[in-house]
Amino acid sequence: MSRPFFVALREVRTYLQDKGDLAFSLLLPIILFALMYGAFGGGILFHGTANVVNEDEGGAYSTILLEQLEAIDSLDVELLSAEDAEAKLDNSSLLMVIYIPEDFSESLAAGEPTELVFRQRGNGGDEGQIVASIVRGVAEGMNQQFQVHNEVNSALAGFGIPQESISATVQQYLDQERAQPAVVVNEQTVGTSVDPVNMFLPGIVTMFVLFAITLSARAIVEERKKGTLERLLTTRLSVGQLFAGKFLANVSRGFVQTLILLVLAYIVFQMFTPLSFIQSLFIVLIFAAAASALGMVIAAIARSEDGATWIAVFFTMVMVMLGGTFFEVGEGSVFYTLSQFSINTYANNALNSVIAEGGSLANLGVELGILAGVAVVGLILSRILFKVMPGGK
Amino acid sequence: MAEEFLVAKDLHKSFNERKAVNGVSFSIHKGEIFGFLGPNGAGKTTTIRMLSTVLEPDKGDVTIGGHSIKRDADAVRALIGVCPQDLALYEDLSALDNMVFFGRMAGLDGKEAREQAMKHLKMMGLEGRAKGKISKFSGGMKRRINLAIALVGSPKLLFLDEPTVGIDPQSRNNIYETIEGLRDKGMTILYTTHYMEEANRLCNRVAIIDGGKIIALDTPHNLKKQIGPPDKVTLEDVFLKMTGRSLRD
Repeated sequence: MSRPFFVALREVRTYLQDKGDLAFSLLLPIILFALMYGAFGGGILFHGTANVVNEDEGGAYSTILLEQLEAIDSLDVELLSAEDAEAKLDNSSLLMVIYIPEDFSESLAAGEPTELVFRQRGNGGDEGQIVASIVRGVAEGMNQQFQVHNEVNSALAGFGIPQESISATVQQYLDQERAQPAVVVNEQTVGTSVDPVNMFLPGIVTMFVLFAITLSARAIVEERKKGTLERLLTTRLSVGQLFAGKFLANVSRGFVQTLILLVLAYIVFQMFTPLSFIQSLFIVLIFAAAASALGMVIAAIARSEDGATWIAVFFTMVMVMLGGTFFEVGEGSVFYTLSQFSINTYANNALNSVIAEGGSLANLGVELGILAGVAVVGLILSRILFKVMPGGK
Repeated sequence: MAEEFLVAKDLHKSFNERKAVNGVSFSIHKGEIFGFLGPNGAGKTTTIRMLSTVLEPDKGDVTIGGHSIKRDADAVRALIGVCPQDLALYEDLSALDNMVFFGRMAGLDGKEAREQAMKHLKMMGLEGRAKGKISKFSGGMKRRINLAIALVGSPKLLFLDEPTVGIDPQSRNNIYETIEGLRDKGMTILYTTHYMEEANRLCNRVAIIDGGKIIALDTPHNLKKQIGPPDKVTLEDVFLKMTGRSLRD
């Protein structure tokens, strides 16, 4: 009965002796973690660029508008020619451009309304929408200043006070008001912008474990290619034991790689308790078993390494898309119904529950039961398929 | 009368309507080297795959050491060692690791597997390369390891499927001497080859198979006698006379 263990051990030894493979598989979780840390580890604030075509070059009010935009810390101002802007909008290298029309200053000086034009592809993109919002705020401030100037000028029109003097005094009060505003916005940072564990770690972990499907899928084909499959079948190793050994090796490999990822998350983000860490490892182990068993099903039917790899990649992508790894799947939709056929759904739910909601394994009977069931049924099915496939045994 | 160790009765095997083996029957006596000769596609390898429990016959049965391949395949596997025509080695492992692994698969414990591995590596003249990776070995060394692996677990019946293909005369001679040594120790061997001088040198009896059927079975001497004086006729002459000169796929 120890033969599956020796098959698994041989696989692991092969894995450990292939320096390239070993470095890749151990570095992969570390690189993935570094990317996660870079994306979520710091409190990065918005910084965008306002791409402006100023057709009112030298105009007093367009100059004021640009000075006010440049004074905003989170914004850079990039001046473009109209031709350049159109070309960049055409090839999508820019999604939103602000046009200051030729008569902008002249109209404002005459007390006539004017406009800023936002030309954008689609909705202008996230950055474009935020920049547009900032520019609207600045334009709104200018509008209010004009309103104040106009109202005061109208009110003092009959008193014989020179208009320049009125304007200078009004501007002085407005500048004072801007320096000491009545309402101050106070920003308080209470943590990183996105909690990486809550949002992404379960999905990344489950996606990572799913790589086990590809590894398992190639397990039998590789033996066939080396010629060792037939030799093994003439020894006292049964086909069931061979499959069990391959399964054990791939579960171990997937689990160890994920362990590195979780340990790094534990140490650097400090987002696990000892209990939630152990519970997460248990969930990952059961999920790795389910993923490896599905890989063995592919292994049983694949007749070439390329065939095995492509079936596994297709299967993995479908599981990841349906399983809520990249986006939440809303209840009640067709997509939600389909997601119930993805093992990722149950693994993500279980990990989210343990990591983010402080849940315990005792409340995850359905998820763990389904994953364990997939592991058992997958292994049995792979054995049956290997027997009934042409040239099978 | 010599004891029959392997008895094949009326073996049939088809692949997609094509009959690869069509009613093959023969027996191998304990302690003899039985040559199994035939042109490409004659049914040799399919027959060996059935005898070694890899393929199940569509019809007929084989008993090895009294155990049926259909009803008691595990007991049969405990008696056989197989050296396949194509190399079947883990290139990324050392020679010793390969042999110990297959020893464990043959049911040996760790100590026995290691002892047998070293013994057979020595027999093949490879004890100094025990820890060398197979991927670094020459073709001849790989062939010798391929044969050595078949010997771990002390099988009673050895299937050698063209064990000397594509190797230098030194390695080939080493394999001949190993096989003769095994015969002297009473090992039963089924041997396939395309080299007729090998069969003439090593085999006690020879079966010639063509079109999935055995068309001749006797000692090399008696087969040669069928077409001329045994000292003037070669086994290759017999083979070509019986199987024809047309090219095979």
